[in-house]
Amino acid sequence: MQQLFASHKFRRFAIQAGFVIVAILILVSLVLTGQRNIADQGIATGFGFLERTTGWPMNFSVIEVTGRSTYARVLWAGLLNTMLVGFMTLIFATVLGLLLALMRVSTNTVMKLVGATYVEIFRNVPVILQVFFWYAILTHLPSPRAAYAMNDVIFLSNRGLMLPAPMLSASDLWLLAAALAAGTFNLWRARAKPGTGRRWALVLVSYAVLFALLLVTGRAPDAPLVSVPELKGLRYVGGITLKPEFTALLVGLVLFGASYIGEIMRGGLLSVDRGKLEAGRALGLSTFQINRFIRVPLAFRAMLPALSNQYIWLMKATTVGIAIGYPDYFAVVSTSINQSGQTMELLALLMGGFIVINYSIGFVLNTVNERIKLKGRS
Amino acid sequence: MKRQITNLIAAGTLALSGAVAAQAQDQGVLDTIIERDSLLCTGHNGSYLGFAEVDAQGAWQGFDIEFCKALATAILGSPDKVQIIPVSWAQRFPAIQSGDIDVIIKVTGWTMTRDTELGLQYSRPYFIGPFYVMSKTELGATGIADLEGGVFCVNAGTTIERVLTDYMETKGIAYEPLAFEKGEELRAAFYAGRCDAIAGFGPFLSATRINAENPDDYEILGDVLALEPEGIVVRQGEDDFLDVINWMVSALLMAEEAGVTQANVDEMKANPPSASVERLLGVTPGVGERLGLSDDWAYNVIKTVGNYGEIYDRTVGDGSRYKLPRGLNNLWNNGGLLYPLVMD
Repeated sequence: MQQLFASHKFRRFAIQAGFVIVAILILVSLVLTGQRNIADQGIATGFGFLERTTGWPMNFSVIEVTGRSTYARVLWAGLLNTMLVGFMTLIFATVLGLLLALMRVSTNTVMKLVGATYVEIFRNVPVILQVFFWYAILTHLPSPRAAYAMNDVIFLSNRGLMLPAPMLSASDLWLLAAALAAGTFNLWRARAKPGTGRRWALVLVSYAVLFALLLVTGRAPDAPLVSVPELKGLRYVGGITLKPEFTALLVGLVLFGASYIGEIMRGGLLSVDRGKLEAGRALGLSTFQINRFIRVPLAFRAMLPALSNQYIWLMKATTVGIAIGYPDYFAVVSTSINQSGQTMELLALLMGGFIVINYSIGFVLNTVNERIKLKGRS
Repeated sequence: MKRQITNLIAAGTLALSGAVAAQAQDQGVLDTIIERDSLLCTGHNGSYLGFAEVDAQGAWQGFDIEFCKALATAILGSPDKVQIIPVSWAQRFPAIQSGDIDVIIKVTGWTMTRDTELGLQYSRPYFIGPFYVMSKTELGATGIADLEGGVFCVNAGTTIERVLTDYMETKGIAYEPLAFEKGEELRAAFYAGRCDAIAGFGPFLSATRINAENPDDYEILGDVLALEPEGIVVRQGEDDFLDVINWMVSALLMAEEAGVTQANVDEMKANPPSASVERLLGVTPGVGERLGLSDDWAYNVIKTVGNYGEIYDRTVGDGSRYKLPRGLNNLWNNGGLLYPLVMD
């Protein structure tokens, strides 16, 4: 035994194993203590409440939710709302961020100034204030009856932006998906074989025509192709509505997030060796070509780790939606806690939901990072 | 190595200390309050106008705050021995379970889930809250049905969300719900016109109207969505404490019924008009001992905050800027729903 402990290797293993065991024991004892305390206070525990109906509606949701939906469904709807606004923020903020970065590294003084001013303004004001600001602007638009109208099909009021929407049934959507899939497949095949460009374009057009034909002939008579918003009493019926809560949150997060993403991208762009750009210029490539084929691909590799971090951060920032009445995951969990009283369970679900979303983002971006890493270089 | 082990032991002890804290709660909360010589009562995160609001001097005011003061006076003899802890609507239940507050006096509706599953116990209702809908005068609505298709704003996580859903479903009125976490945001959205109407607790609506730039732009519709009896909440199993609360509420109502006021309580005590007033004010012993309090607790309470009617009038009624009618919160002999218990 004495000898065993004398072994450096064994001792290190024993210390590490001991540490893990003690950490697990502490965790278990914390959970057990918590459980006993809750039981002592006569509070119901467990996830049984998820099956119960909530009795309250949601203002905005991707899936249908009513007062008769279960807690499980309402929480799922909240998670979807968070993902909707979160992923849209990431996409738009990335595009805007890239533009900002290109402005800031350009040689044009005006562009540089505009980029720098933008970043300094939007980076230095807390995101919640920006969201409040956009929400206040949107809710101070005229009432539905006095809405700004564009050709009587698009309306802007303090109830949101009303747009005409295509009336697609489920079978139409399947058709559209099939046409898109077929088109993509052809595109992909065409890529493999150079010189077939014209043929796949033809195939694509024929798919589009077929889809349009089926769409027109396959629907019930009198059913309009496009639904146009129309004022009925206090509200607009038909079309699609971008609600102020959603828009304000999205705009606030995008403008804020873009200032950070822009700076990360600027860092990435500046990290590209000047010699490589000069080499491109020496080859006679245009500025666009240099950006497209040399600068951006190299910069992308450099900025990806910092970008993943920022993406995860932005996803978490969607929780400010609760302040302006956007029913994101956090808001729905918060209301559920108040209505059902199952604080611990709901907080666990809240944390679990965000871990899953953010871990997935991190995982995807890390995988991409591994894949595109320049091989054979340190 | 040795240090690592001591660190681990320290961490283990820390984890177990949670169990010790739980045991400290075995003492009744009434004893804890007396030992601490102060009562931890609920305020609000922000202002819930008329019920718990911070005045220009930074002091808490309102109907619920008066009840906090009354309870502190009954148990500890002075309204200054109350500590108002600001908590949000959602925090109130975890806060009472963790012992951060002793009692919830925060217009808390008596619902089955809260009463049974959250390990809480309710006092007899001390306030009857009617839910109404307030809309813009320019919409010309005379009833809720006229607001078909409109946007209705509510406070998130309160009973009103369910009450409104039920009402609209029963009557078959389509509407768009919009819930806000904070009263300030809700009000701002309503004033800006984001909502056609707000549904809520009568007193809250009345306060919202008064605070508008032009109160005449808004009107509270006559339709009552539902009634909500509001109780004072303690942890399950605090029977002694709940007894004190129930009899304190009763004493305030009894004082009003018997015409005992803050102004005339000394006179009444010196010259009681009836045997029951004699008991109430502790002229003849018994009213305190049975609750573990001094015999003059009810006298102290009335001397400090007045009777139920006086509290109501001062904080939300005609004597306040909210001018909320007594309505159902009148005594039974004035057309209301409130009555004192029998103090024998």
